[in-house]
Amino acid sequence: MNEISRTLPDEAERHRLLQSPINGDGLMLLFEAGLLWLTTNQQYVNSLNVFPVPDGDTGTNMVLTMQAAFAEADQNRSTNVGETGRHFAQGALMGARGNSGVILSQIWRGFSRALDHYETMDTGLLLRAMQEGRNTAYKGVVRPVEGTILTVMKDMTTAAEEALREDSNLSEMLVAIVAAGDVSVKNTPELLPILKQAGVVDSGGMGLFYIFEGMLRMLQGLSLDPSGAVLRPLAELDLSHALENVEEGQDYEVVIDFTPNGNFVLDHYYEGLTEIGTSIQVGEGDGIYRMHIHTALDKRYEPIAYTESLGIVKKIMMENLQEQMNGRSKEDAKLALAKVNPGEVAVVAVSPGEGLSRIFASLGVAAIVQGGQTMNPSVKELVASFENLPTDKIVILPNNKNIILAAQNAAKVSVKKIAVIPTRNTPQGFAAMLRLMPDGSLEENEESMREAITEVHTGEITISTRSVEIEGVQVEKGQVIALYDGKLVSSAATIEGALEELFQKADLEDIERITLFYGEGINQQQVNKLGDQIREEYPDKEIEIHEGGQPLYQLIIAFE
Amino acid sequence: MTTQSNQQGSIFILPQAIKTVARNAALQSYGVISLAPANPAETVSRFFKKEADVGILVISEEDGVTLELNLIIEYGLRIKSVADSVAESVKYSVEKTMGIPVKRVDVHVRGLRISNPD
Repeated sequence: MNEISRTLPDEAERHRLLQSPINGDGLMLLFEAGLLWLTTNQQYVNSLNVFPVPDGDTGTNMVLTMQAAFAEADQNRSTNVGETGRHFAQGALMGARGNSGVILSQIWRGFSRALDHYETMDTGLLLRAMQEGRNTAYKGVVRPVEGTILTVMKDMTTAAEEALREDSNLSEMLVAIVAAGDVSVKNTPELLPILKQAGVVDSGGMGLFYIFEGMLRMLQGLSLDPSGAVLRPLAELDLSHALENVEEGQDYEVVIDFTPNGNFVLDHYYEGLTEIGTSIQVGEGDGIYRMHIHTALDKRYEPIAYTESLGIVKKIMMENLQEQMNGRSKEDAKLALAKVNPGEVAVVAVSPGEGLSRIFASLGVAAIVQGGQTMNPSVKELVASFENLPTDKIVILPNNKNIILAAQNAAKVSVKKIAVIPTRNTPQGFAAMLRLMPDGSLEENEESMREAITEVHTGEITISTRSVEIEGVQVEKGQVIALYDGKLVSSAATIEGALEELFQKADLEDIERITLFYGEGINQQQVNKLGDQIREEYPDKEIEIHEGGQPLYQLIIAFE
Repeated sequence: MTTQSNQQGSIFILPQAIKTVARNAALQSYGVISLAPANPAETVSRFFKKEADVGILVISEEDGVTLELNLIIEYGLRIKSVADSVAESVKYSVEKTMGIPVKRVDVHVRGLRISNPD
């Protein structure tokens, strides 16, 4: 990065260099702008990566490719665009990293071939360079996949073709190219289903877009700084990760929705905000702007006053980040997972709720995967949880009948030795955990755990989502239903009613202990009341109550 | 042959099927122009074989398969980057669609095609 951190030319110098037609120095300035702007947006591009694309960090790979290209051209500076382009393409080839880096190097290779033997570049030559870049890139693949960086390059080139007129200048042509690139990137999920499933746009295409947008920003004199303005559609404004690292002077998070008045200039607004705080993001949608900023305690009202001076403020949201972080660290601290030594048997449990996760942790589970009735974890998530453990003998407890298959598939994909214990619910998972022998063999553990899960019976209380009749039990939508070992045994208007019938149906003869795990849709007082009633009715049984935190099931009951 | 089983019975996957998946993934990977015969014997026998057979070897073992790809790559690309990404896409495709662990992917670059002399 050292070679490009030099200061950019001042305003007058910039104007001189970028006067159409541009020479080698002007072209270098554009390349540099593309690199800087891509670097600024590198993490965002990385975040778009969709597994399985064999390109871990698209943004990083593209930046490294561009850096190598720029460094090579920088060492062989020439006022001739042909020479400059040739070195740039050579550097890109040598430094190409990852799939998108390779494609990018091909784009520059074609691009530079069109510039060969030319002193300067005008709009006509830029168009030919774009066309050559597109053609060369497409030649590198037998079965081009659309909805990728290739498509974005193609669409931008088409826009350049349409924008070429006698009197058009480079800036106008780049405006057309960048506008088309923006549309094309947003359209990539329509062409590539895997992007649509993941809810992202293509990362390579996005990276290419940033390179050209950087060039345009340079021509327009806009900032390329990491702290510079990034205007994204509201939907893309991801504020959830903003919390992850709260630093000094970031006491409050302020989010303001506003409609700017007529002479609003985003860059000026941005500059003003940088005086107030950090982590600034601005999004736009339907004429409303949303601004997000982190500020120090004493400056928390400044963004509001400042924004009010520039437009009409519609909505303000303010949150105390320190407080939130404290709460969060407490939560994390409670979940103390078992440490595993190489060679030992480790257990991965799928858990639908926080409280249940804590219980699993206290029983010695080494990793928790979130998941349950309506949120099945993917095979990939399960495999990842196996790979992260420092042992190759792993027991997986799916704890839901819908997840058993995924667990079995994950066991096959993983290179480690995995035993799937077909636990159909959380109580079975707990019963299995009590049999864990970390020093035993995987086979011993599996056998013992499989035996354990037959010894526990499970009751579940939930609300029916449809009207149905199963095994003689008539259920109306919205009624409370009880399941015993997965079978519907009763329906009633209230939890008490369903529970009463469940206890009648359950075989309680040999049962010593009954544990209630309460989830969403019921509070602790209600559960305590239920517990008292059960104690009264079954004085010889031991009754325990724990917070499970699971969604959908008000109660999960273990009979042991 | 790779065997898996479920409650209903067994699933047998023949090398031919794995080759087809691997071949498709390889050809969709950027920079790969075609598959090439792995050896002189294959050069001769390709006239009598199906296209999908050429250039891919599949070795099945108990705990997964090892694949060997023989490729012609576009001239003017960084070979290592292309080879890395083709190996990764092939591994992913085979594991995802067939559920068979891929232990190794060996890439042999058998030649380069020059489509843009410069």
